Amino acid sequence: MTYNSIQEILDICQNNKIPFWRVVLETDMRERAVCETESFETMRKMYRAMCEADSNYDKSLKSESGMTGGDGEKLHIYNMSGKNLCGEYVSLAMEKAVKMSESNACMRRIVAAPTAGACGVIPAVLLSYQELYHTEENKMVEAMFVSAGIGNVIAMNAYIAGASGGCQAEIGSASAMAAGALAYLEGGSNRQMANAMSFALKNMLGLVCDPVCGLVEVPCVKRNSAGAVNAIASAQLAMAGIESAIKPDDVIDAMRRIGNSMPSELKETGQGGLAATESAEKIRKAIEL
Amino acid sequence: MSIFDIIGPVMVGPSSSHTAGAVRIGLVARRLLDEDIRSAEILLYGSFLATGKGHGTQKALVAGLLGMKPDDYRIPDSIKIAEERGMAVSFGEAALKEAHPNTAQIKLVGVTGKELEVIGESLGGSRINIAQIDGIETNFSGDNPTLIVHNLDQPGHVSEVTSMLAHKSVNVAAMQLYRSSRGGRAVMVVECDQEIPADGLKWLERIEGVLKVTYLGKNEGDK
Repeated sequence: MTYNSIQEILDICQNNKIPFWRVVLETDMRERAVCETESFETMRKMYRAMCEADSNYDKSLKSESGMTGGDGEKLHIYNMSGKNLCGEYVSLAMEKAVKMSESNACMRRIVAAPTAGACGVIPAVLLSYQELYHTEENKMVEAMFVSAGIGNVIAMNAYIAGASGGCQAEIGSASAMAAGALAYLEGGSNRQMANAMSFALKNMLGLVCDPVCGLVEVPCVKRNSAGAVNAIASAQLAMAGIESAIKPDDVIDAMRRIGNSMPSELKETGQGGLAATESAEKIRKAIEL
Repeated sequence: MSIFDIIGPVMVGPSSSHTAGAVRIGLVARRLLDEDIRSAEILLYGSFLATGKGHGTQKALVAGLLGMKPDDYRIPDSIKIAEERGMAVSFGEAALKEAHPNTAQIKLVGVTGKELEVIGESLGGSRINIAQIDGIETNFSGDNPTLIVHNLDQPGHVSEVTSMLAHKSVNVAAMQLYRSSRGGRAVMVVECDQEIPADGLKWLERIEGVLKVTYLGKNEGDK
């Protein structure tokens, strides 16, 4: 039993009466020739590395270019002021997404998930959930397997790198991975997890990778918070029982085709979109990297 | 692809290709030299050259040359650490044609005077390819135990290497042969599923016509 599509994971779940996360774990055991404990504990290490990176956020850090730093703290202060717009969970997720992404830009240790540029999305959604609902760590690790399985299928059938498929492949994939994991934490069915993943990726289709000066900073840091919010919104749609009209594997297929037709200026070359604006040009001159 | 290529690696930011991949190129270069480095000339090409500074690519390459892995907290301070350890580092622009966009050419001199030139490419997601060693084309990632044999281009050397591996019960995952010219210098790159025991490597070194044996073990690696 090896999967190449979301549908194949769902079929294996049904035929073997095992949960989604366990299909991903058992495939990993076979492919890397490791036992269940080793696979599970490796994923736990990844989860704990995310927690460590989150708690190591340093509000005083600035990136080499000077474009990034301190915004996570601003969000934190606003959230603490008691008048935030988004409610407790979404607000905390946004704060964590920006903090993690800032840490990345400032050469701190993070977990690429699926990439360094999108490293804020999954921890934002998962860590905030655990913080607010005190979920057991094992359950969080299981949710990580759900997101890894989704990411694996996306990587096999489309892209996870901005240079290959634009930002839809980075923040879009991370958001889809987080949405599926969140539906799992909420007790969603396999079908609801697949729907959450579909909604999240559909909402991100077409997003280009146009970083200013080619650096993982503008607009990447804020896109991490958008990816986290989108994941939560998508899980909510799925948990309400809404069905995605487009099957998850078809959404992934669409992402690949859109990525293929994206011009290279919009795929991490720093030549098009936001990177080609007058504001970006001013920044480029000011920082003279 | 492993799920830990999707969730992971744990790395110092900001970029899996321009930072984590660069650390790995430096680390593989150091392990290929197999001794501490006296001086390193690092030449950058393409996107490494254009956006390397903002991505910490130079610091990352130096960190790898110092033996650090992509998750090492000290990566941002690597250039200072190199200075403290007496490793001379210089940077420049690589005069390459149509290379991979993320390429570094690294010229190393070890503490015993041993020299090595490596061209490494960062392929994205922290995966790398070593494209050249000492001017001869290669193609390997350093993910598996890798044996690199420099030899004279004459009959029998491939069979000597593979016999030794068979004797040590080491399975070959991939094997590539390159030569500069007929009868000139040749390079064999053998990626294996198991570690090669040290006595097997010693045996190879003593064979006539074998110029240099380099071995990249698995566990000192980063992934």
